[in-house]
Amino acid sequence: MRAVRHIALNVFRESIRDRVPYNLVLFAVLLIGSSFLLAQLTAGQDVKIIKDLSLAAASIFGLFIAIFIGIGLVSKEVERRSIYSLLAKPISRPQFIAGKYAGLVLTLAVNVAVMTVAMYAVLGYLTWIESPDFKASWEAPGPDPALLKAMFLIFIELMLVTALALFFSTFSSPLLSAALTFGLYVAGNFNTELRNFEHVVDSPAAAWGARVLYHVLPDLSAFDVKTQVVHGFPVAAGYLWSTAAYGAAYIAALLLAAMYIFSRRDFK
Amino acid sequence: MIKVLAACGCLAAAVTLQVWRDGAFPRRHPDIARLLYVRSPAAVGRLALGFDALAADLYWIRAIQHYGGDRLNRDQPRRYELLYPLLDLTTSLDPYFNIAYRFGAIFLSEAYPGGPGRPDHAVALLRKGISAQPRKWQYYHDIAFVHYWSLRDPVTAAGWFRRGAEQPDAPNWLMPVAAAMLTQGSDRVSARFLWHQIRDADQPWLRGRAQHALRQLDALDDIDHLDAIVASQPRPAEEPFSWSWLVRLRALRVVPVDPAGAPYELDPATGRVTVAKASPLFPLPQLMVPIR
Amino acid sequence: MFPAILIEDLTKDYPVGFWRRRHYRALDRLSLSIEAGEVFGFLGPNGAGKTTTLKLLMQLIFPTSGRAEILGRPIGHVDARRRIGYLPENPYFYDYLTAEELLTYFAQLLDVPTAARRKRVAGLLDRVGIGRERRFQLRKFSKGMIQRVGIAQALLNEPDVLFLDEPMSGLDPLGRRDVRSLILELRDQGRTVFFSSHILADAEALCGRVAVVAGGRLAAEGRLSELAEFTARGWELVVANLAPEALERLRPLATRVTEIGTGRYTLELPLTQAPERIIPEIASTGATVVSMNPVRETLEDFFIQRITEAGTGARGAMAEGEHARR
Ligand SMILES: Nc1ncnc2c1ncn2[C@@H]1O[C@H](COP(=O)(O)OP(=O)(O)O)[C@@H](O)[C@H]1O
Ligand SMILES: [Mg+2]
Repeated sequence: MRAVRHIALNVFRESIRDRVPYNLVLFAVLLIGSSFLLAQLTAGQDVKIIKDLSLAAASIFGLFIAIFIGIGLVSKEVERRSIYSLLAKPISRPQFIAGKYAGLVLTLAVNVAVMTVAMYAVLGYLTWIESPDFKASWEAPGPDPALLKAMFLIFIELMLVTALALFFSTFSSPLLSAALTFGLYVAGNFNTELRNFEHVVDSPAAAWGARVLYHVLPDLSAFDVKTQVVHGFPVAAGYLWSTAAYGAAYIAALLLAAMYIFSRRDFK
Repeated sequence: MIKVLAACGCLAAAVTLQVWRDGAFPRRHPDIARLLYVRSPAAVGRLALGFDALAADLYWIRAIQHYGGDRLNRDQPRRYELLYPLLDLTTSLDPYFNIAYRFGAIFLSEAYPGGPGRPDHAVALLRKGISAQPRKWQYYHDIAFVHYWSLRDPVTAAGWFRRGAEQPDAPNWLMPVAAAMLTQGSDRVSARFLWHQIRDADQPWLRGRAQHALRQLDALDDIDHLDAIVASQPRPAEEPFSWSWLVRLRALRVVPVDPAGAPYELDPATGRVTVAKASPLFPLPQLMVPIR
Repeated sequence: MFPAILIEDLTKDYPVGFWRRRHYRALDRLSLSIEAGEVFGFLGPNGAGKTTTLKLLMQLIFPTSGRAEILGRPIGHVDARRRIGYLPENPYFYDYLTAEELLTYFAQLLDVPTAARRKRVAGLLDRVGIGRERRFQLRKFSKGMIQRVGIAQALLNEPDVLFLDEPMSGLDPLGRRDVRSLILELRDQGRTVFFSSHILADAEALCGRVAVVAGGRLAAEGRLSELAEFTARGWELVVANLAPEALERLRPLATRVTEIGTGRYTLELPLTQAPERIIPEIASTGATVVSMNPVRETLEDFFIQRITEAGTGARGAMAEGEHARR
């Protein structure tokens, strides 16, 4: 357990020294810059747009971190052979995988937390300067606590994407892993369409195929409650926890598979 | 090996959770699924970053799914309220998306519950098509058709048919149709002819729609016929009107069924014949009621 | 007592070819036994299978067949790794860490107690000659400096058994001398050192016993002095300021005399002429002895001789390996 923690902290240190800070600065600049621009342009709807923008940006920026760092985690170590001296230490390969994963999840958590704080800061400021007439037209309060629900599910989704990236990188090249992860990310987000296939296609075979894909592919569209939250619709607590539990089970499956593959691998 | 089994177990757990959640919290909550994130075609065009045609395809698929989903969904009220925005987005991203215009013409104007019953939207969409491709006679034809079939306005319809006939490549039957409109606005013969034209078009899903309309026209003919039979018999004394009464009089051999296979209904009080509410043909188009 | 390292019939086939999977036998039934406290040289030309053997022992790759034990436990046992150190061939670490951070990180993984950690890290960096640079990120390190850091990290847990893959490569002469003295120091502390090299001189300076591999097969094993191929054939003496009459007196003793410059000569002496006797004689003529070296077969000569004298030798093993399947 201690080994897992040390590996995780080292991943965190690497990502902090690497790309993540730029990512956060870019996010903040984008958010603050656009909020000032929008305040000039739109009538009262700028708060909605800021919410849309921050949730979308948190998800996309997180996606980049999850895919690019997630793939580098293992493949870079193998490619540069730094793993040789590491695995000669008393740590097992599953511990190595677990540590790498935990480290990137920690990085993502910090990332999402900072983005959330930035979002609430900008929203709070906009609410403060806005006139009461404008506020009357809002569907949801400015710094709405419900946004945390969306951020929470975005975070779980990013954890899942990281697990995907890690899984692929245990047996394929970085480029292929990136392509596969991104492909599954897109496919997973079209999952609801797959489910609706049943209502539009006549062929039972096609409907059945779509159904199987719906269950086997990561159901990423379930993690997207951005629209509901921004428009002030309720999101049930049961929905949140069952989706989170779904994510956890899927992640566990991916990590176990990754550990299995990685434990049998030759490092050449 | 244990890891593989454990991984499979976890995946099974994930699927179980997914199925449970989909049951407990249906994701297509009508209020939520119906929010289109960005509704402005201009904004979508900008967001598509040069992949406009691809984005158009995606919106087209969503339009079909939206329409198909609402049509087949028997539990919740069907509203089709995204059909027009989706088609509008599709055709803005790709102004030459012919099927989207024609699809819109037929299905936007279809009366509720088969469609949203918005012939005005259908005409707006087709006008957009004409501004993109002014020589496309099909668009004029479709506008005329909407005016004739849904808006019950044969005079305007005739005008559009004539404009269509003026386009290069227009088929030579458009002009006679325009003339027929003006002389016999309520004629089922014209309607049949036009639906036959649509049925023979190369779009299979349009063919289904035309088949349906042709059956409705047949049902209207049947009803005229049955009304005549009812009127020709002496009115029963105490008894209400019923099919068994007519069968007993040997005016009919069996209870008549409409072209979709559902029995016609005979109003016990007035003796008027209609299609059953449960029939797929219900409601019959209002068009054929004499206008003048 | 069990041997520190026991290798039995260790074999490794690498799959080669993308479409048609064939196997290339990089290591063929290697068996070795290394006692505790020994400095063991694992010699062989490039591509002999040295790195393959070390990677197998570290479980970085898995053997096709055969087995090995370290400190009496089958390899792969996580606990056994607490007591070993490993320097990979051409090591590479993390660019974004400083030398100090890298060693601290590895020390944590090795469960070095917090109290001892800082002192041990600093001490090892001093020992391998990394000075102020320890605060630099490793991306700014030269190959030789990385090699030194690699040696330091292998020593973090004060290992009982040390595996060094080409420890001298990339080092300057000073560095080589340092590593030699370090290995001898470790031997004096009773640790077992297993190192690979393709340079015979390294082995001569350090090893009790050596094994020579070629083409994935064990070619020779034993004490260097006992390996007939490596015993000296004579001496080579370089002298300066040698007067002509003194040269004439020495000429009958030498098998060959070559003039390098004015008054400078290389004398080749047979083994029978003990240098202890000749050198005072030379000194008495007023000449100076510049250098004296034993003349012996080099590792390269040894391989060439081995390979040519036996067609079934190393080459044969390679050809056979190429057709081998699992
Ligand atoms: N990953 C690999 N795939 C195929 N062949 C390999 C691989 N690694 C090493 N070899 C081959 O195995 C043989 C032994 O290599 P190696 O153990 O690295 O030699 P050494 O360390 O003695 O120089 C060489 O012929 C080399 O080409
Ligand atoms: Mg090597």
